[in-house]
Amino acid sequence: MSAFPDFYQFLAPTRVIAGRGLIEGTGFEFAKEGAHRVLLITDEVIRATGLVDAVVAGLQDGGVEPAAIFDGVPPDSDAEVVKAAADHAHAEGADAILAVGGGSVMDTAKLAAVIYAHGGEPRDWEGYFGLPRADDGMGPPAPLPPLACIPTTAGTGSEVSFAAVIKDRDEHLKFQVADFPMFPRLAILDPESTATLPPAIAAATGMDAMTHAIEGYVSSEANPHASAYALQALRLIGANLERAVADPGDEDARGNMLIAADLAIMPTSSGAIGIAHSMSHPAGAHFDVPHGVANAINLPWVIEFNALGAEEIAERYRDVGDVLGVDARGDGATVGHALAEHVRGVVGRLGLPTRLSEVGVPESGIPVLVEGAMGDGCTLVNPREPTEEDFAGLYAKAL
Amino acid sequence: MAYFRDDQEVYAFIGRLFRELADDDELGPKFRKANTIVQYQYRNPDSQITVKMLDGQDGEVDVGATDMEPEVVMSMDADTAHRFWLGKVNVTVALARGQMKAKGPVAKILKLVPLTKPVFPRYKAMLEQAGRSDLLEI
Repeated sequence: MSAFPDFYQFLAPTRVIAGRGLIEGTGFEFAKEGAHRVLLITDEVIRATGLVDAVVAGLQDGGVEPAAIFDGVPPDSDAEVVKAAADHAHAEGADAILAVGGGSVMDTAKLAAVIYAHGGEPRDWEGYFGLPRADDGMGPPAPLPPLACIPTTAGTGSEVSFAAVIKDRDEHLKFQVADFPMFPRLAILDPESTATLPPAIAAATGMDAMTHAIEGYVSSEANPHASAYALQALRLIGANLERAVADPGDEDARGNMLIAADLAIMPTSSGAIGIAHSMSHPAGAHFDVPHGVANAINLPWVIEFNALGAEEIAERYRDVGDVLGVDARGDGATVGHALAEHVRGVVGRLGLPTRLSEVGVPESGIPVLVEGAMGDGCTLVNPREPTEEDFAGLYAKAL
Repeated sequence: MAYFRDDQEVYAFIGRLFRELADDDELGPKFRKANTIVQYQYRNPDSQITVKMLDGQDGEVDVGATDMEPEVVMSMDADTAHRFWLGKVNVTVALARGQMKAKGPVAKILKLVPLTKPVFPRYKAMLEQAGRSDLLEI
């Protein structure tokens, strides 16, 4: 029997609607959140698929006016784009923001909402819980304009999280802004929105979701709420990820992966995550390794490392194994290896790279990667505390 | 009730700890690799400590008013800071909970957290030597 926890906090304030045919009801649903005149933020690739036209029609059908479409978001969005989007919202008289796209688009929309409401430059808001609040900063935060998200990938979970990661191209770094009002008010999960998702991106983003769920479940900050979401996410991922990638026409699998990605990100609201992410962040920053690909490569090695840390950690991995249909009995080493091999098998069948060296990481890059991983916030909530030597060893294996 | 009566007590303990770390031959250079200036703004009691950790320069700690311009600002109750130095606060969780608020490139500070673990016993010993075992009752 587990002891009652000293403390944990779990947040899931975004209204999520999931189902088929929801795009045409976008206006009906977003109006409930107070939207009247909407700036739609997207990228050129998504716009070219025709999805944006369907969303615009859906807005109008529900009596919500599309103020303008901002389709200038690049794959790694930056502060200038955020500022331009916020300026666009003001110039067009928008009172709400709708993101249609992947993580970069949604994060752009979140921070654009902050700039729209509070002004300043994007990096002025870098940090955690720094948005204006009543009562000398101790009261409730000032609201942002209504924000809704229609994700076009199933992985980041940004549509139900309160953080945005944006690039500062001048400084060559990514910065994070996170606060409660940045939770989108509405997330619309409709498989139509991932109908044109290329299989390679579906695979990588799906592995990002799997990593969120597994790390969230075994983190030192895991808790009953977070665990419930993580395990259900894993059930859905186990049943649907490979199907969705193998057959992009499988609408059930694509829709279930959208739901899984939402569930998988939820443990992070409690701070539950781990060092696969710590390793992947610097790989992306220094060597442009796509985040989902980096997680897919790093996750099995981290599982094997963590499972050796303590019996309690191995027990958590046994639970993960049960959900994924892995025979995960035995001691920590056995459990870790069995689960890691299962993950490697999934990664291989998805056609993703299995080595960092395949995606441009040189051996000489390990020191800078280790420095980044040691300084990553995710390291502090990993179930097993890693040293610099541990990270160097993990990167060497993943290389 | 707050652990510290006034800002002077905050400076006498947490401020002193920062100064000792800045002067520490082993830890000082490691902290200065963060290459930043961080300001800790405390509430209950209101107090402020600014720490210069710039690579290749001497460390510097100002309590109260300062001319240094911080790159990172961390705000929290002085109690949270006290509990942190006793090893009772996970920074990531404190940020998630909103007990700590951070403005600026927080990763520079998170990088230092593993370095602080050996400091926890030093802080405890400092309190004991000052006859403030009452502050250990948390």
